[in-house]
Amino acid sequence: MKKGFAAVAFMLLAAGCLAGCQKKQVKPGDVEGFDPGEQYLSLWVHSIEDTEEGQAYRQSVDRFNEVYNGTYFADIEFVPRNDSGGGYSDKVNASVMAGGLPDVLTVDGPNVAAYAANGIIQPLAELTNEERGVYLESILEQGTYQGQLYALGVMESSVGMYYNKDILEEAGIEVPEAGHPWTWREFTDILERLKPLMEAKGGYPLDMTFPVGEASIYYYAPFVWSGGGDLVSEDGLSVDGYFNSSQMAEAMEFFRGVVEKGYMSEAPIEHLFESGRAAFKIDGAWEVNTVYQNYPDIRLGVAPYVVGESWDGGRYTPTGSWAYAASSDSENLKGATELVKWMSGVESGVRIWELSKTFPSTYEAFEQIDVFQTDENYRFLYEQLKEYGHPRPKTPVYPQVSTSFQQALESVALSGQDTQQVLDKSVERINAKLERYTRK
Amino acid sequence: MKKRSSSLLGMAFFGPALVLLTIFLFVPMVLTLIFSFTDYFALNPDLTHFVGLENYGKIFRDDLFVKSFFNTVCFVLIILPCQGIGALALALLINRVTHCKKYFKVAFFIPVVMSLAVVSTLWMQIYSPEGILNTMLGNLGIPAQPFIHSAKQALPSIAVMSVWQGVGYQMIIFLGGLQAINPGLYEAAEMDHASEWQKFKDITLPELKPLCVFVFITVTIGAFRMIVQPMVMTGGGPSHSTYTMVYNIYETGTVNWEIGLASTMAIVFAIFVMVLTVIQSILTRDKEEGKHVNKKAKGN
Repeated sequence: MKKGFAAVAFMLLAAGCLAGCQKKQVKPGDVEGFDPGEQYLSLWVHSIEDTEEGQAYRQSVDRFNEVYNGTYFADIEFVPRNDSGGGYSDKVNASVMAGGLPDVLTVDGPNVAAYAANGIIQPLAELTNEERGVYLESILEQGTYQGQLYALGVMESSVGMYYNKDILEEAGIEVPEAGHPWTWREFTDILERLKPLMEAKGGYPLDMTFPVGEASIYYYAPFVWSGGGDLVSEDGLSVDGYFNSSQMAEAMEFFRGVVEKGYMSEAPIEHLFESGRAAFKIDGAWEVNTVYQNYPDIRLGVAPYVVGESWDGGRYTPTGSWAYAASSDSENLKGATELVKWMSGVESGVRIWELSKTFPSTYEAFEQIDVFQTDENYRFLYEQLKEYGHPRPKTPVYPQVSTSFQQALESVALSGQDTQQVLDKSVERINAKLERYTRK
Repeated sequence: MKKRSSSLLGMAFFGPALVLLTIFLFVPMVLTLIFSFTDYFALNPDLTHFVGLENYGKIFRDDLFVKSFFNTVCFVLIILPCQGIGALALALLINRVTHCKKYFKVAFFIPVVMSLAVVSTLWMQIYSPEGILNTMLGNLGIPAQPFIHSAKQALPSIAVMSVWQGVGYQMIIFLGGLQAINPGLYEAAEMDHASEWQKFKDITLPELKPLCVFVFITVTIGAFRMIVQPMVMTGGGPSHSTYTMVYNIYETGTVNWEIGLASTMAIVFAIFVMVLTVIQSILTRDKEEGKHVNKKAKGN
């Protein structure tokens, strides 16, 4: 079989040569700005250069080359990525096999564990406490796998439970402070109170869906965490007793209740919240900008994310985004780490906000951006991220966990299937994928 | 000498195609076959083992694979008759109209030219709870339907959309066939006082038979390859009701990085479609025609 693989590898290599995806040896002068005496660092990002996000990366790299002139030269390559994750990840996968990974590459937050467990990325060089302290807790947590820091992102994200101030005032409902969120039961009571009012407006109390893809686990896993449960074990290698735990079942059944009692529409209706026909909406932080820009009539507020009855004040709200990591192929870990730190640092963070309105990942960047001081909604989302941000499950089989979560939610909440049966089935399916890691 | 130079010339024409086909078709096909016997994992190719037929057993025990298989068959069973008969009916109608023939041709053909992703997004609006279709149903006094948001209706909804999208292509093929039928045949039939139905049954259909076979097979293969519509519109849901085989292969290989398993599914899928195509072509083979050709060949 070894021989067979050598043959296969040779064929791929031949194809690779033809396609030109071999790791190139770059000499000073080959690329503009790369001078003798500088160490060459290659960098891949999952974006197109023409986008605002791409421009932010380009400018950050240019600044890096200015600041580290004479020591390092970073060469950025833009690799387009489509919505379902193809493109960029295909290129990474191909390079894992044929060689040619860059020194630094971007990794989606929840995939850090899989990349680390499979030796595609290596732990970053040691960061001082001061250097670590720059970053939000959630970003460090996201980049850490089995006790080692692998990745640092320039972007963070958050999800808000938005409300329409006019509607809540009309119904006489007071929104609690950040530290005292509504529990599921309290929230259900409020939805019940709002239902007749919203029906009169031709809408629903809650604008919510269980979308396919990453959004479902991102939005709704907090309901499990705040209820004292977890999706995977601490080491990420076990799901039995976690994914099918009673806390998980409770969260799923909470959603079933919301659907059954008609607090939300079973089929997604577009712009329900934005057209003033829903009192609440759960959505990403981008919603604030959308409402401000396109729906100025809506008086927007952000309520604390709802928690389970047994919430102990711990971290539970959604976070996470793409991050930079050093590939295992990199022979210059020190340089790669410098590049990662720079690309995710304060200056780059302020830039990513200015250009693409994505949340930065460092305290100082948030402090430097006016809107997080002056606008109550942005301020709220930042505080929530700082105090309560919780990364998504860290497990090498994350993709399976994510799809299983969405499917379980759909089966339980929308199709009314038996909760425990659905969850046990999911555990079986995830376990099959985990085998690869547990048998080693 | 002459023979040699002409074979060189032949190679010069054939060579580039052969090289490209080898790199982009034959090698991947062989690799897929090899990978299907391994546990090749995209993130860690070094750990690949030969696992024999394990993958094949695995996928047939996997509920999801079986479900995606039956979903795909369901799609084909809805799409095949609708699209085949629909295309023929449209072609017959257009062949009859005397005015605005071009307009109808273009109108029915436009969806074929549009990107599937665009068409899918468009139909998501049409099927949405407050979309045009539900508004029309509402005016008729029928309650709003969930369409692609319900496990029961999603598959037929997507199938209907696919028929609408694809029917124009087969219609053009049939139209070409209709126009090639010798008008003398109809004239002769009319002299014998044949009814419209008899003319259709005894002249049009037999004359179109070779085209029917072609349409039958291409529609079947096309329907089996369904992935874009469920991917864009439902993500395979609700409750996997629109999860197709190709979608499953894609997710297993690209999202979950299990290239070995995905290759196995691809091989099973390919074999299934091939077998089906062979059966189809045997069932639809014209026995008379076969004899006819043989006689001719012997004569030569």
